[in-house]
Amino acid sequence: MEIELLEIRDFLSAHHPFDQLPQQALNQMPEKLQIRYFRRGATIPDVGSIDDYLYLVRSGAVEIHGLQDELLARLGEGDLFGYRASHMEGHEKFTGIALEDSLVYQLPATDVDVFCREHPQFSYFFEPAGGDRLRDAISNTGEDGSTQLGLMATQIGEMISRLPITMPPFATIQQTAAVMSDERVSSILITEADETLTGIVTDRDLRRRVVAKGLDTSLPISEIMTPAPYTLDAGDYAFDAMLQMARSNIHHLPILRNGKIAGMLTATDFAQRHTTSAVYLVSSIYKQSEISGLASISAKLPQLLLNLAAADATANSIGHVITAVVDAITTRLLQLAEEQFGPPPVPYAWIAAGSQARSEQTAKSDQDNCLVLDDTYDPSEHGEYFKQLSQLVCDGLNACGYVYCPGEMMATTDKWRQPLKTWKRYFDGWVDQPEPKALMLTCVFFDLRCIAGEKSLFQDLREYLLDKTRGNQIFLAYMAGNALSHKPPLGFFRNFVLISGGDHDHTFDLKHTGIVPIVDLARVYALAAGSHAINTQDRLKEVASGGEVSQGGAHDLRDALEFVSSLRIKHQATQIRAGEAPDNYMSPDDLSHFERSHLKDAFSVVRTMQNVLSQRYLR
Amino acid sequence: MSIWKHLFNLEERRNWWTRKMPDSPLRDYYDTPFPSRDLDWRQVDYLALDFETTGLEAKQDQILSVGYATVRGDRMLLSDATHILTRPTMAIPESSAVVHGILDDEAAEAQTLEAVMPILLNALKGKALLAHHAAIEYEFLNNACKNLYGYPFLAPVVDTLALEVRHFRMRDQAIRSGDLRLAKARARYGLPRYPAHNALTDALAAGELFLAQVAYRQSRRALRLKDLIVVS
Repeated sequence: MEIELLEIRDFLSAHHPFDQLPQQALNQMPEKLQIRYFRRGATIPDVGSIDDYLYLVRSGAVEIHGLQDELLARLGEGDLFGYRASHMEGHEKFTGIALEDSLVYQLPATDVDVFCREHPQFSYFFEPAGGDRLRDAISNTGEDGSTQLGLMATQIGEMISRLPITMPPFATIQQTAAVMSDERVSSILITEADETLTGIVTDRDLRRRVVAKGLDTSLPISEIMTPAPYTLDAGDYAFDAMLQMARSNIHHLPILRNGKIAGMLTATDFAQRHTTSAVYLVSSIYKQSEISGLASISAKLPQLLLNLAAADATANSIGHVITAVVDAITTRLLQLAEEQFGPPPVPYAWIAAGSQARSEQTAKSDQDNCLVLDDTYDPSEHGEYFKQLSQLVCDGLNACGYVYCPGEMMATTDKWRQPLKTWKRYFDGWVDQPEPKALMLTCVFFDLRCIAGEKSLFQDLREYLLDKTRGNQIFLAYMAGNALSHKPPLGFFRNFVLISGGDHDHTFDLKHTGIVPIVDLARVYALAAGSHAINTQDRLKEVASGGEVSQGGAHDLRDALEFVSSLRIKHQATQIRAGEAPDNYMSPDDLSHFERSHLKDAFSVVRTMQNVLSQRYLR
Repeated sequence: MSIWKHLFNLEERRNWWTRKMPDSPLRDYYDTPFPSRDLDWRQVDYLALDFETTGLEAKQDQILSVGYATVRGDRMLLSDATHILTRPTMAIPESSAVVHGILDDEAAEAQTLEAVMPILLNALKGKALLAHHAAIEYEFLNNACKNLYGYPFLAPVVDTLALEVRHFRMRDQAIRSGDLRLAKARARYGLPRYPAHNALTDALAAGELFLAQVAYRQSRRALRLKDLIVVS
């Protein structure tokens, strides 16, 4: 007979988390409900504690206020409050107030407990924000599923199975070739007695440097080896290895673990995993000699994003892949510039800032970059060369769709094309005499990554910078203040985004209210800890063990970032499919109940961590 | 009959019938006192009730389905929400089938009214009958009791339609045609739209309307049951 309460059951099943219940449990729930009606302005509950029941808004609207009467949430049809559905961490007392005449279903607390006990999927919803709940949401929305995309999440260490075959440098060419034949390998590593890597020899080397030249095979192998080969760390991602191979046109890559040889990665290791379109894209970038050719490749980026999104790649992986393309384009443009203007008169490092530095680009990004020059730089003598070089690269990037930075944070701006010593002076100013306004503009320069050129210039600057910021309470307080300038919304109310103070926005700004607050938090943690990590996920992973932020807090932030970022990618993929230009603005109408509910969790995590940061630095 | 109404109140008439009546489900029903007229409305149990029938004439037409749920003070409980089909002894006229959607085949498998009445009377025990345009439910119940048990049906009755009329009168508003229909009345209180003409859905709809009406009637003076019931 209870099945006759179909109307109510259908309402429940259309709303999260009731949609998580199996059919049978869903059929049992309506009879446990009580129906209440609250006139506009009425307090909910009218008697007893708000924890006596779990409330579900059937029609109308309810506001939740905290102890100081501050607005915490505005709820519409299908939203929950009361027992276990506490909306904000750090608030112990809530009051509900009917904003409109409201019909409300209430489920006694004891029944909520029973359903939670019997249905873990249902109870996840009622656990504190973050934690398993967000993680669950992410695994629901997909992890790198296909083997293709597994490359982005697979660490190289997992791909190398056999121990590397090595020879000492004094072995003869003939001995080395014999070992290679016996071991059926196409390459061999040349190592010193202490296992340090000194070189690599491949089949191709034997063919070109020995056989073709009729070289004496009793010579030591060190004569023909490629010394100091490119290496990667076992902790790097397989995708990075593919990019490195494509960029340098090599097929063998020695892999180190803790500085010692761990194995050899070869192009064939990827064969069964199949190359991704991203890698083809990157390798074809290095074959272009015209900007128009580069532009036609970057025009395929939206399609790449679609493929990646369709394959359920994680947002963090997608960020890495999309950024790898702009890295390659930048590198290629620099090569073209050097071909045109000649070799650089003094060493330089081309440095990406902002989202490119963090490897977090999506379909819509502008360019932020700068040039750090060797201290022997003389403006009158070398100025014109680097000006031309910067102009060519920045113009090229713009032509490829990475539009000029509106704040002119680009190497074409004289101020951002300076020798190392000037850069150090800049950071002296920003760190030692911080100004809130200036910091807002320059915080993009606290995320830097060397794209091409003389890496040591960049490393020098980075160490200098991190030495200044590590544990620097005054500077960090300013950065913390900056990090708190972007606040996540309170939540959603019908077709609106509810922002603090009770105002409404019509669109949800995924970037500034979703992603930027997390990026800003991670930057403060990283600068405080003096961490080398740039990517936000990496930063959070790294600082979690350093005490700058709690393990749980860092983990929750990573989950929140992944969830919001994947939502952004999904949104942009939808726009691309519809032939629209991708952007960062979502209408709340387009959010499912599931997404709304988990976004609220993500906001709650960010709010909590912002409060902690504020407590730490801004008291 | 009508003269007794004026001479004795409901409770006195219940007592009178109790003394007179032989054992029957109706007699059991009368054993439990009605809720006192002077009780605060929140201390009263109501049975929100709706019938689907073959027509509107209690004397000729028959009950096809019964839907009810208890309203306990200011909340409606769904735990005893019930929907029962009853078997008519006549063919279902097409004119009513298009309204409630109950067809002969379905009704043929239903229980007899004789089997259903004890369940319903048991559910009504100690409660006020609550319905939209309650005269229909009241008359059909009365008729069924007379036919099955030989005695009339009595209950304190709360009619959401009558409450709605009062609401209009109190604000000196003119009532236009259709204003008093259940769906229209519900809309005025911001209650959601339900599909009509299922006995249980309509019973719930009337129960919710009642909760909304009393929420709007709250005043300085405590609202008592007698302020809500219709004279019967």
